[in-house]
Amino acid sequence: MSSEMRRARNRQMLIFLLVCAGMLILLGRLFYWQILESHSGYNLAELANEEHTQNQILNAPRGLIFDSLGRILATNVVRDDVYVEPIQFSIDHPDNTQSDLEAVINSLHQVLPNVSLQKLQQAFSSGLPTVRIAVRIDPQQSLQLRALQLPDVFLQPRTWRIYPAGELAAQILGYVTQNDSDNVGVYGIEGQYNSLLAGKPGSFTAETDLQGNPLVVGADNEQLPVSGANITLTIDSAVEYMVQSALENAVKQLQAESGSVVVINARTGAVVAMAGVGTFDPNNYGKYANQMGCLNSEQVYFNPVLYCAYEPGSTMKAVTMAAALDQGLITPNTSLDDQGCLSFSDGTPTVCNWEYIAYGRETMTQVLEHSANVGAAYVAHNILGPSRYYPYLARFGFGQATGIDGPETAGYYRKPGDPNWTESDLTRQAFGQSILATPLQMAMAYEAIANGGVMMRPYLVASINNNGHMVTTQPQVERRVISEKAAQTLTGMLEDSALYGFAQPAQVPGYTIAAKTGTATTQGISADQTEASLAGFIPATNPRFVILVKLDRPQKAIYGSTAAAPLWGIIAQQLMEYYSVPPDALK
Amino acid sequence: MHGGQAQSASSSTPDKPVEHIAAGSILAAKRRRHLHPFFYRIGPGTLSICSVLLIGLMAILYLSQLGQAVNDNQQIQNLHQRQVTLQRENQDLINTIAQEESPAYIIAHAKAMGLVPANPKEVQILVVKHLQMIPRDDQNLQP
Repeated sequence: MSSEMRRARNRQMLIFLLVCAGMLILLGRLFYWQILESHSGYNLAELANEEHTQNQILNAPRGLIFDSLGRILATNVVRDDVYVEPIQFSIDHPDNTQSDLEAVINSLHQVLPNVSLQKLQQAFSSGLPTVRIAVRIDPQQSLQLRALQLPDVFLQPRTWRIYPAGELAAQILGYVTQNDSDNVGVYGIEGQYNSLLAGKPGSFTAETDLQGNPLVVGADNEQLPVSGANITLTIDSAVEYMVQSALENAVKQLQAESGSVVVINARTGAVVAMAGVGTFDPNNYGKYANQMGCLNSEQVYFNPVLYCAYEPGSTMKAVTMAAALDQGLITPNTSLDDQGCLSFSDGTPTVCNWEYIAYGRETMTQVLEHSANVGAAYVAHNILGPSRYYPYLARFGFGQATGIDGPETAGYYRKPGDPNWTESDLTRQAFGQSILATPLQMAMAYEAIANGGVMMRPYLVASINNNGHMVTTQPQVERRVISEKAAQTLTGMLEDSALYGFAQPAQVPGYTIAAKTGTATTQGISADQTEASLAGFIPATNPRFVILVKLDRPQKAIYGSTAAAPLWGIIAQQLMEYYSVPPDALK
Repeated sequence: MHGGQAQSASSSTPDKPVEHIAAGSILAAKRRRHLHPFFYRIGPGTLSICSVLLIGLMAILYLSQLGQAVNDNQQIQNLHQRQVTLQRENQDLINTIAQEESPAYIIAHAKAMGLVPANPKEVQILVVKHLQMIPRDDQNLQP
C-alpha cells in the first residue's frame, strides 16, 4: 500500500472516529434528556405539548326555569369582562409608552365611563400580567371595544344567570353565585336542583395554530357538555305577580314588618303562587346580604312560606273542629255555655276569649264565627282529650315536613310524653297557641278540608326536561285526614264563619268562601304586636284554590279580620277573574 | 451493487484468463438485468431527474392538501365564531322576550298607555241563565 493510500485511509479513519464521537455525544445528550431528566420535574413533553395544544373546559349551559305557562323565570346570558395586559403593553410599546398608554386609557374610558381614568392608570401601572378592569359590560360596549381593537386589551366572555322578572318569585327560585370558576345554585329551586340544572361540563383538546385556533389536521379530543335540565314550575307568574304586589301594598299600608301568601290548587296540591315581603332581587343578591326576614330570624333569601314557623292562632280552630267532627263527637249544632272564660277541674289554666267576651249558649258553628277560644278549648279538653286530639295534629301534618321540593321547617308542638307537656298545651293548641306551623302547613291543613278530607302532597315542580327525558310530577295523595262527610260539614261551618263571622271582609261578590281568621300574639312582647292571618278556600261549593295570608306585626290594623281578610279577598277575587271561575253564590 | 461489481472487475489480476473475465462480466450484466428489470434501460441521470420530479410532485400535492386544510380550518373557525355570536344573540333575545313577557313589564307599559287597574269593588256580576261556559284555550293548563 502506497503512503498516499495510507494517509487517505488514516484521514478516512479520523473522519469516521469524529463522526462516531459526535454520534456518541448526541446519544449521551439524548439519554440525559429522555431518560435521566424524564422524571426530574421538568415535564418536558407536557411543556412541549402546551406550546401547540389547547385544553379547554366546555361549560354546560345551565337549565332554564319556566313558570306553568312556559314563561321564563331564569335564563342565561353571556357578557364580557374586560382585561388589560400591563406587562405586555410595556414590552409592545418600549419607546412611546406614555403617549400610547394615554391613548388606550382615553379610548377605554370613553367606552367604559364607569371605569375611572385613575383606575385605568392604576391597572396599567400595576406590573401584573393581567388586570380585570370591568365586569359584565353591556353588549354595546363589547361591540365598541371589539371594533376599537385596542392593543393588549381583551374581552373574556362569561355566562351569567339572569332572572328576567327581577324580584318575582325570588324566594322560590333562589339564586346562583357567580364566581370566576364556579356557578352554584343556592336557596330555592336553584339550590335544590343545582346538580340537575348545572348539567355536565365537557372538554376540548386539540393542536392549535400560532393564533391558538384549533387545527383541523392533527389529533383532537372533544367531549361535548351535557346541558342542564329545564325545570317547569307550577307557579303562574301572572298570579305570582298579582299576589306579590297585593301583599306589598298591604304590608306598606298596614305598616307591617313582613308578610307571606301562599295559593294552592285545592285538588292537586300544586303551588300556584308563593310570595313573601321583604324579598330580594336575585340579579343583585349580594345587596341583600344584611337584610333579614321572618321577623329577623332568617336571612331574606329564605322562603317565608316554608321557613317562617309561627303560632297560627284561631285558624287552628278549624283543625280542632275537624278532629271532633271526624270522630262523631260533635255536630255543627253541638252547643256549650260560653261565659268568656273556661276553668278546668283538673287544674289546667283557665282559657278566656278575646277581651273576655261571653257569648252565652253557642253552637260549634258559632264558636268558629265568634272565634271563641273557650269553645275550641272546650272541644279539645272536654270532648276530645289528648288521645283523640293529637293523632289529628299528626294527620294534618303539623310538626313534620310537608314534602314539598326543597328544604323547609317542620314546625313544632309539645305532645303527651314530651318533657314539658301539660294539659295547658292541649287547650292552647286548640286555638293555635303553643304550636309552631309554617304558612304552608296551615294552607295544606285547609287543603285537606277543601279536598274532601284528603291531603295532597304540595309540589312546586311540574316537570323536568333533562335533555329530552321528561319527568312530569303527578298529583300525589299524602293521606286521608278526615272523612269526606266531616270535611263537607266543616266546610259548611267555615262558610258560615266567613259569612257571619270575623272573615266577612274577605267575602268575594258572587262566590262562596270557607275561611277562618287568626290573630296570634307572642308571649313576652306587647299584645298589639300580632301575626294576623286568614286561611280559607274558594269557591266553597267546589273548591279551586286554598289561600293563606299572613301579615307580621301590622300596625294600622292588627287583627286577622281587619288586616289579613281584605287582602285575602282581593287575591281571591282576582284569582276568580283570572281563571274565569264561574260564580257559585248568585241568587 | 453496480459500482461494487465494476470495482471487482477492475481489480482482477492481469494474469487471469480472458475467458474468466468475460464470464464474470456477463454474469454481472445478468444480475443487473435480474435486479433491475424495469429500469435497465434508464440511466442514473434519468432516474435522478424522475425521482426529483416525483418528489416535487408529491410535495406539491402535500402542500396543496395542507393549504386546503388550513383554508378549511379557517372557515371552520369563522363558522364556529359565528355560531358563538349567534348563540349569544339568541340568549340575549330570549332574555329580552322573557323580560317583556314579565307581568311587571306589561303592567308598567299598560300604565304608560293610560290604563288603570280595575277597582274590584266596582265589579258587577251579570247572571245569564243556562249559559254554557266557553272553554279557554289554556284550560288544560289551568289548575
